[in-house]
Amino acid sequence: MTERVHDSLKYPSANRRDDGVVAEWLLMELQGEIESRHHIGLAGNLMGDLHYTREGVPILIIGHHILYGKVSHLERPFAVLVKHSTSKETSESRLQAEIPGDGNSVTNYLVTALIKKKIIFKTRPKPIITNVPKKL
Amino acid sequence: MRTVEEVKATLQVAKLDAAELQPAVHCLSFRDGVSSGDYCLMELDETLCKCIESGQRLIIRGDKEEHAVLCNNDKTYDLKIADTSNMLLFLPDCSTPDQLPSNPSTGCLIHSEIYGFANSYWELRRTRPKLKKLKKLLMENQYEGPSEEKQKGSDNRKYTMEDLMDSVQASEQEILQQLQAMHAYKIEGCWRILEFDYEMKLLNHVTQLVDSESWSFSKVPLKDCLQELEALEPREMIEHCLNCYGKRYTDEAEEVFYDLNEDEVCKATALMLLQNAVKFNLSEFQELWQQSVPEGMSTRLDQLKGAALVDRNSRPQVISPLKVEDLSENTQERFNTLFNIRTKWTEEDISPYIQDLCGEKQTIGALLTKYARSSMQNGVKVFNSRRPF
Repeated sequence: MTERVHDSLKYPSANRRDDGVVAEWLLMELQGEIESRHHIGLAGNLMGDLHYTREGVPILIIGHHILYGKVSHLERPFAVLVKHSTSKETSESRLQAEIPGDGNSVTNYLVTALIKKKIIFKTRPKPIITNVPKKL
Repeated sequence: MRTVEEVKATLQVAKLDAAELQPAVHCLSFRDGVSSGDYCLMELDETLCKCIESGQRLIIRGDKEEHAVLCNNDKTYDLKIADTSNMLLFLPDCSTPDQLPSNPSTGCLIHSEIYGFANSYWELRRTRPKLKKLKKLLMENQYEGPSEEKQKGSDNRKYTMEDLMDSVQASEQEILQQLQAMHAYKIEGCWRILEFDYEMKLLNHVTQLVDSESWSFSKVPLKDCLQELEALEPREMIEHCLNCYGKRYTDEAEEVFYDLNEDEVCKATALMLLQNAVKFNLSEFQELWQQSVPEGMSTRLDQLKGAALVDRNSRPQVISPLKVEDLSENTQERFNTLFNIRTKWTEEDISPYIQDLCGEKQTIGALLTKYARSSMQNGVKVFNSRRPF
């Protein structure tokens, strides 16, 4: 099976900006997993608020938790890829034709964006205590 | 949509002082229909990142039973999935602190969507190209000369560069280098290797002509060669043979000459003498070899590194053909084969057979430490298998 990773320059896509530069996204790394309340799924739901302090420290508030993080530059950047199945999309069939041999098994990945920076939250979330009992 | 008031209320509950924070706030929400399978992450190195930025294509190659590799124009990488217990979220329009507007007048909300998430990514590691298959494919249908070619008809398998790149796990540059090393030639758009006897026939024509014309090996004129030999073989094959065994240059009068490579000519002659032998008495071989090379060229055993192996411990001493390109590309399998052929190796003897296994910044010494055990034998350091035998 041959799979090709190409980027959007030769095969235009909305993700390459007008000036020809590949879009750059940000990565956020959280420890553990995020689950939605009542298990309704994550899609379409609010995750939380991201603030930065005056010093630039990221603060994430998710539900009743505060997380303090750090912005860091990735030594090894990431490419964000989207799989394109050539058989389904007619717009891609042009590509398939370019490859002689077993063109049926060709899969393309489009480089949607590059990621060079991430916000990482390494420490344990702190709970927000809303109901502080009054002095007895 | 979340409002400024809601964000403020949350800050209050969290007991955070808004004055300590930058006025711009990102409200992060998951995109409609988001799922973990939408995007893959691939970790890059600086070279590959630049490739992508400059619009080059990267290609993943491998048959179903092969481990996938990723190639750019001139390098090959092993591709492996790395899992992480962390959640990786992709944020297309989220800013880092230095990118935020600096005027702190009013608070503003940035609604940014989480486009996808993952807890694994593809890891890349620079690897040696896997080129053995290239020879295997081209051996299926070797070129034996124009008349044999006509007899064969056109239904024999031939490979274009694109065909080769589709099935060989190496980059275009690495494939081209190997084709050159194998003396392959592009005939009607398809890469072919010459059948060994045919290649020797061409070389003999050239060396005999050099001899009869009393030319210097360092100044063989292309034009005269083609003129003299075109009755025997196609002109392009004569020129190809000169390119394989000599260095092309142009003199002041713009005439093309070749400087024949003594080592290459001697090596080819030795391979011809050894091709059907299992073992050859060393002194007899050396005598015959020297007689077989063109007058004025001198044979030396070090010309046969990686092509033949001398056994100095047998009586009489013998030489046997052993080509490095016939051995496995897998490091452990290569060592197993070598230790089957001979239980104890000196570093000098084994080096030509493991040199090509060295990765980036890896030395022969490091390979031997990992895959062999050393001991002293009559004051000489020798290497044997790490496995009990």
